[in-house]
Amino acid sequence: MNTFIVTRLILKDWYLNRTLLVAAIVTGLLTLAGIAASKGNSIALILGIIVLATILIGMGAVIMSSMVNERKQQTLPFVMSLPVSYLEYTTSKLLGSLLIFSVLWLMLLLGMIATILITPWFSNGLIPFVVIMLVEVLMSTCLIAAVSVTTESQGWTIGVAQIGGLALNAVGFSIVRLPDISHTMRSRTIQWSTTSIVLLLAEFGTIALMLGTAFFVQSRKRDFV
Amino acid sequence: MTGVAVQFSGVSKKYPHFTLQDVDLELPTGSIMGFVGANGAGKSTTIRILMGLIHQDCGTVHVLNHTMPANQAAAKRDIGFVSEDMRLYASLTLAWHMNFVSSIYPQWDRLYAEHLLRSFDLKAERKIKGLSHGQRVKAALLLALARRPRLLVLDEPTTGLDPVGRREVLAELVAVLADEERTIFFSSQNTLDVEQISDQITFIDRGRIIDSANKETFLDRWRRLRLMLPLNTALPQLPGVIEVGGSTRLPVLTVNRFEPAMVAVCQDAGAAVQAVDAMTLEEIFIANVQSRREGVVA
Amino acid sequence: MNSPIVISQSDGRPMYLQIMEQIKQKVAVGEWGPGEEIPSIRVLAVALRISVITVKRAYLELEREGVIVTQHGKGSIVATDPGLGPRLYDREFEEHLEQVVRIGTLLGLSNKQMALRLHDTASRLNEVQLHEDEFRKETV
Repeated sequence: MNTFIVTRLILKDWYLNRTLLVAAIVTGLLTLAGIAASKGNSIALILGIIVLATILIGMGAVIMSSMVNERKQQTLPFVMSLPVSYLEYTTSKLLGSLLIFSVLWLMLLLGMIATILITPWFSNGLIPFVVIMLVEVLMSTCLIAAVSVTTESQGWTIGVAQIGGLALNAVGFSIVRLPDISHTMRSRTIQWSTTSIVLLLAEFGTIALMLGTAFFVQSRKRDFV
Repeated sequence: MTGVAVQFSGVSKKYPHFTLQDVDLELPTGSIMGFVGANGAGKSTTIRILMGLIHQDCGTVHVLNHTMPANQAAAKRDIGFVSEDMRLYASLTLAWHMNFVSSIYPQWDRLYAEHLLRSFDLKAERKIKGLSHGQRVKAALLLALARRPRLLVLDEPTTGLDPVGRREVLAELVAVLADEERTIFFSSQNTLDVEQISDQITFIDRGRIIDSANKETFLDRWRRLRLMLPLNTALPQLPGVIEVGGSTRLPVLTVNRFEPAMVAVCQDAGAAVQAVDAMTLEEIFIANVQSRREGVVA
Repeated sequence: MNSPIVISQSDGRPMYLQIMEQIKQKVAVGEWGPGEEIPSIRVLAVALRISVITVKRAYLELEREGVIVTQHGKGSIVATDPGLGPRLYDREFEEHLEQVVRIGTLLGLSNKQMALRLHDTASRLNEVQLHEDEFRKETV
């Protein structure tokens, strides 16, 4: 793997979306700072969470467009004329977009954990549930990225994004019903039950599987342009 | 390593509505090959297979001694590729693209790039979306040329350019060949350009290579013989007659293996030779294609 | 770049012939003297914006005719044979005459008819006013 060319391509994609990226990260940091300084004002906290969540969703959309756009705007021949293999191209796309997304995702995670810890209203036992749900969001975004880079089709990507959103709700409802989860949610302390740990591992496992599948599919492709 | 810059051997690629069949090509280092064919004949497919962007169904492809598509990343370090459907990033400037490409290729020649900016009449600070089609083509060519690649692969490099632009581009392409280690492969519908600067010429039609030879051979071998037949005289039998046009008394024979002795043969057969016309590359191409499509094999 | 030679795309003759003729002219008038270096094949191809193979062919033919000499790896020079100019042209003239006679014979012209045609063409091209009647009276 030629890390040099992969880095150049990632930087290129970041540069193309620079205004959005900078705006998202700066807003995210400011919001986090606001949450930390909120002194427990619940309204401010909830607002902060909403802002962070919105940024995250927006980032998801940018990810979709970045990969589909190379095909749509016909810049793919230019990129593929560079000394890069298709696998390296795929890596740059997935890595570049997921890196940015992870940064914002982390901000949201920290923001939510901080909110829960600060406010008396939210029991700290919620935290494992929140972590599981947020990793679910990460998983869903990885799915979008994987579909986007392999199909290069806006239609497919949007379709998967919508299914992902529905799945998120469905999974959320079913997890809440799990005895281990629902019991610990109300506690004042953070309790990591076996179920929650298993769920987390399953989610990370699925993420690895999806990314692996994306790479596999890309390596089997015979017509790139 | 010199010798052969591009080699195709029995390359085929099947699509639902089109098949590229049995393509054999050999391009010696230090020469220019012009690739001529109608739309949909298979020029772009062949070029994409050459670049490793499409994987052939069978056959071998070697470019600069790299096997394609397996070694495409390594090969592309020494190849400059410009295709007609290639677009640069519209919201960014030409200067950004020049910077980007030069950061990837150590062989980027800054002075030469500046020379090309002047001779192509381009402003580096302009955004790509503000350029006309012709300027975009020249911008993409600049990015490929300034790296001084060992092999230039160009899909319709002069299509869409005005006559001045065409002249500038052809001049730069020929200048590349001043270095005999560098090679150019270009496809074009513009037979005038191909006739002017190519050393080797290959014709492709309906997915098959129908002819490939050096330019002077083409221009030497193809002729139109204008004859005048007296009454009750049969047409002289000549080898390599591709087409018989004109009228019964005044036939025009198109031959692809002309020898001066043919004139004598016609005389002996009783026909008067009124003229032996050379043919332009365009006429040669059309005659070649038509005869193949009608099933006349020469 | 200032090209030493100018060729025309609309000229019906093959490009390599045009190149040959112009080089021979330069030698004939002494612009390129005996033993003098002439542009290499590739340099000339670049200046004329044409394929190397065409210039190569012209140089090969010129070497065959003894006008230039190509030294392996060192480029080409005008042949050192003095008096090349007028002799060169004379030989070409002779070759063309032979070709005219060959074609004329094929067309079934007699010697006198060929001579007449030659004269007519010369008059037309050079606008030389000869005594045509005189000539016709003598040849008919």
